[in-house]
Amino acid sequence: MASDTETLEADAQFERLKALVNKEYKYIDRKWDAVFWISAAFIVGAAADITMLLFAGDWDFWTDWKDRVWWPILTPFSLVIIGSALQYIQWLAWRFPTGMTYTAICMWFLSTLGRWLQWGNFVWYPLNFVWGTTMVPAGIFADWVLMKTKSFVLTGLLGSAVFAFTWWVSNYVMIAPYLQPAEWMDRILTVSDIQGIAYIRSQTPEYLRIVEHGTLRSFLGETQYVSIVFGMTVAIAGYWIGQFIGRMLAIWPIGRFMKKW
Amino acid sequence: MTMKKRLAVALFFGLVSTLVFTASPASAHGEKSQEAFLRMRSIGFTDVSFTGGQTLQNGEIQLNQGEFIVLKGVAKLMDTWPDTLAAGAPRIGYINIATQGPCVEMVARTVNGVSTPGRIEIAKGRYYAFEMKLMGRRPGRWHIHPSFAVKGAGTVLGPGQWVNVKRTSSGFTSPVTLYNGKTINMENYGLSVVWGFQVVGFILGMIWILYWTAGKRNPDGSPKSWMGGKRTVTNPAVTLSIPLNDDGVAVGLNSKRDHRAVNMMLVATTIFLLVGWIYQASAYPVKIPQQVVQFEPPKTDLDTAAPLASVNPLVADYEPDSRALTIEVAVDNLSDGPIEFAEFTTSTLTFVPPGGTATAPGYYQKPVQVSPSGPIQAGEKNHKITMKIDGNALVEEHLVPTSESQLTMAGLMVFKDSTGRKSSVEIEEPLRPHFKG
Repeated sequence: MASDTETLEADAQFERLKALVNKEYKYIDRKWDAVFWISAAFIVGAAADITMLLFAGDWDFWTDWKDRVWWPILTPFSLVIIGSALQYIQWLAWRFPTGMTYTAICMWFLSTLGRWLQWGNFVWYPLNFVWGTTMVPAGIFADWVLMKTKSFVLTGLLGSAVFAFTWWVSNYVMIAPYLQPAEWMDRILTVSDIQGIAYIRSQTPEYLRIVEHGTLRSFLGETQYVSIVFGMTVAIAGYWIGQFIGRMLAIWPIGRFMKKW
Repeated sequence: MTMKKRLAVALFFGLVSTLVFTASPASAHGEKSQEAFLRMRSIGFTDVSFTGGQTLQNGEIQLNQGEFIVLKGVAKLMDTWPDTLAAGAPRIGYINIATQGPCVEMVARTVNGVSTPGRIEIAKGRYYAFEMKLMGRRPGRWHIHPSFAVKGAGTVLGPGQWVNVKRTSSGFTSPVTLYNGKTINMENYGLSVVWGFQVVGFILGMIWILYWTAGKRNPDGSPKSWMGGKRTVTNPAVTLSIPLNDDGVAVGLNSKRDHRAVNMMLVATTIFLLVGWIYQASAYPVKIPQQVVQFEPPKTDLDTAAPLASVNPLVADYEPDSRALTIEVAVDNLSDGPIEFAEFTTSTLTFVPPGGTATAPGYYQKPVQVSPSGPIQAGEKNHKITMKIDGNALVEEHLVPTSESQLTMAGLMVFKDSTGRKSSVEIEEPLRPHFKG
């Protein structure tokens, strides 16, 4: 008897929710959707770019810093943080697997605009020296993992690792032309090295550049793959920092506010 | 006036002031904000010269985009290097220029005759003769200094020069020949790959977002187009009532169509990445990691030749009212012939006695009165020289440390012999300002 009652209540709840999905609202229409998504784009893009600049900074700014040891570790870690927070918020609120991709396109648009306007037009650095990263393909992969697993634990473990790996694949395509060798100043250097020396950075002496210097722990010469795997691991940590931001600094205060009012 | 009105007025005037008033262009590089005693005791610049281009009547240099100037000089890492910088043991340095960004391009650089693209290993007491070939790039008027950066310490500047770069109608290119023989223009090389990949990626991302956020739908909730036709801001009424690990397919929030759509997007993105990867592997088959060039420049005659003189500083007096600086030194001639005092350099400034010449740019070259003038004979010991310097230039360059924690004057005294050989000697002497009251 009790079981029948519970089933009836569950069915009623199910029908009520189904009706809510298709309910037509008088004042909250599609315009509000557009207002939200477009206005939030600037906040999300800025948050992601600032986080990336805080943690990865120069590594994602100059081609001669985009090396195979530090770049694949620090940049995915810094990028996944805000993407993870947005993934939680958008999945919780709308059940959309869009947080990473939304963060990616917002950040790409704003950071590219910034590079072009501030560094290209104001200071005259060539854009092929200061182009920013893209996390769009990586974001699509991570959002796909969330959609399929419906689990933040699995997305944290698998999705953020896939994110870091895909990020490397997508950005390596762009750095490839600048890793070609050239003889310059009596040395064999990469094009990116030449850019870093030729285009003056008065307050960034070359010795500040933290790139692969070599260690006796040579990992059979495969430092790049070790870095990628380590970057995938570190991205998992970054993902949960993002989850903390999404859960405790965004949703929890909103919940408190809603209860109060 | 209410607070709201006050705020509105303040905002209005703030906005107007940003639009009406213009800020004067910045032409300094922050060197004057560094403590004088640190600048004077760390790097000594001598024989700094800018050659090439066309020298204008006002002493400035003019060149076209793509034309070259050569910046030469000698930097001495002084034995008076402060213990507070780089733990008193400078080890890694970088000789460069300080200017307003990439207005000129570094084309070649040698230190002690050796090509030096990157950092160098340095030691106190050593001389570093540098030569930098610079190419005019950005049209405008730029102030260019030689700079010596030391790891763990900071950057010290030498005397600067105004350089006017004129735009050329033929446009500006920066050619570099790759190891495979192909010549590229560094100004835009590889940008098509970067932009192409970024823009296609952005489009994929936009398709993903538009699918989930845009599009109209039928009364039964099914989408009218390829887009999902979903609502967003009203969804929490439903999403907050179902478990977090429920994708909402059962209640109609999402559908199997959505799952198919994300699968297709994943396949498209994977193909996109594969195409990109194959392209880079075939288009750029030879790639090497970024290079780190570091070495110790060889010693030169400046390091190995016997010094012409030794100097014992006796007094450094400063009169704040008249800004007169008086330095007394006792000189021992260590050479076999007569020598003459040629110049005194400290930080960016070079002080030249009457009848003397120096290569430093005009603004940074000032007179010094020397008594007694004339040569110091071979073997002469304890020859006292008094240098009287008009301190206005020092004040202008913020080189009088009267308000700093170390009252000291330091610099390089340069002597030359009858053959023209030059030799510099460091001096450092506590400064005694004659404060009033």
